[in-house]
Amino acid sequence: MAGHVAMATGRRKTSVARVRLVPGGGKVIINGRELTEYFGRPVLETLVKEPLEKTGTIGQYDVLVNVYGGGLSGQAGAIRLGIARALEIVDPEMRPTLKQAGMLTRDPRAKERKKYGLKKARKAPQFSKR
Amino acid sequence: MPRRGHIPKRVAKPDPIYNSELVTKLINKIMLNGKKSLAERITYTALDMVREKTGNDPLEILEKAMNNIMPQVEVKPRRVGGATYQVPVEVRPERRTALGIRWLVNFARERGEHTMAERLAAEILDAANGQGASVKKREDTHRMAEANRAFAHYRW
Repeated sequence: MAGHVAMATGRRKTSVARVRLVPGGGKVIINGRELTEYFGRPVLETLVKEPLEKTGTIGQYDVLVNVYGGGLSGQAGAIRLGIARALEIVDPEMRPTLKQAGMLTRDPRAKERKKYGLKKARKAPQFSKR
Repeated sequence: MPRRGHIPKRVAKPDPIYNSELVTKLINKIMLNGKKSLAERITYTALDMVREKTGNDPLEILEKAMNNIMPQVEVKPRRVGGATYQVPVEVRPERRTALGIRWLVNFARERGEHTMAERLAAEILDAANGQGASVKKREDTHRMAEANRAFAHYRW
């Protein structure tokens, strides 16, 4: 693990991403695959790159990610939080920028559990008077 | 009425490719059964087709199309003394875009092209040129409002 700059964890929904920032040319490797190859959905790529773009550090670091759990969208969000946290470790001065863009906040929304007596979390069975 | 003060309006996040709220809303309206990635693929393919056919920025064309679809006035039924009148009212800007997108997508669905992306692209192009079913829908809505102009004073 020579030359690594920062490590951080990001979570979103049920996904967990371990992110490592290494000085480099701006590659993003997720579970051993390229960013484009891993997601195959441009919207998610932009989402992941957002913290790097907002702080103007795109192309200065290689990002190595290990991510598991959840679906693609949740994983993208987890990686984003992980990168933002790692950037904060590298340079605490980035904190205001990141904080303002809301990228240091763990998105607390998660699936709501199903309740007994109900069909789903909130959906009640149809009411019949008699 | 809300009991705990003012409820802020939710704003749509601009989409990451064209950086436009309108495109986000269009994607969400195309989406069926929560399949967002498919909706994204359809919308972006359609916009690419628009770019290819016109050689212009598809966002501009889309906005032009929307301007041709969005209604200024519509009619709302109102009961006065047992009789129901169709009262013409102005459309709020948010409702205007919402109706515009709804009509664009619904009439695109009714078209004959093979894939949804093709249908959407064709409907956008038609609307930008002032043709197509969605523009006709707006004309009809305007005509209804004009015909019921006499009841305009029942506005509330």
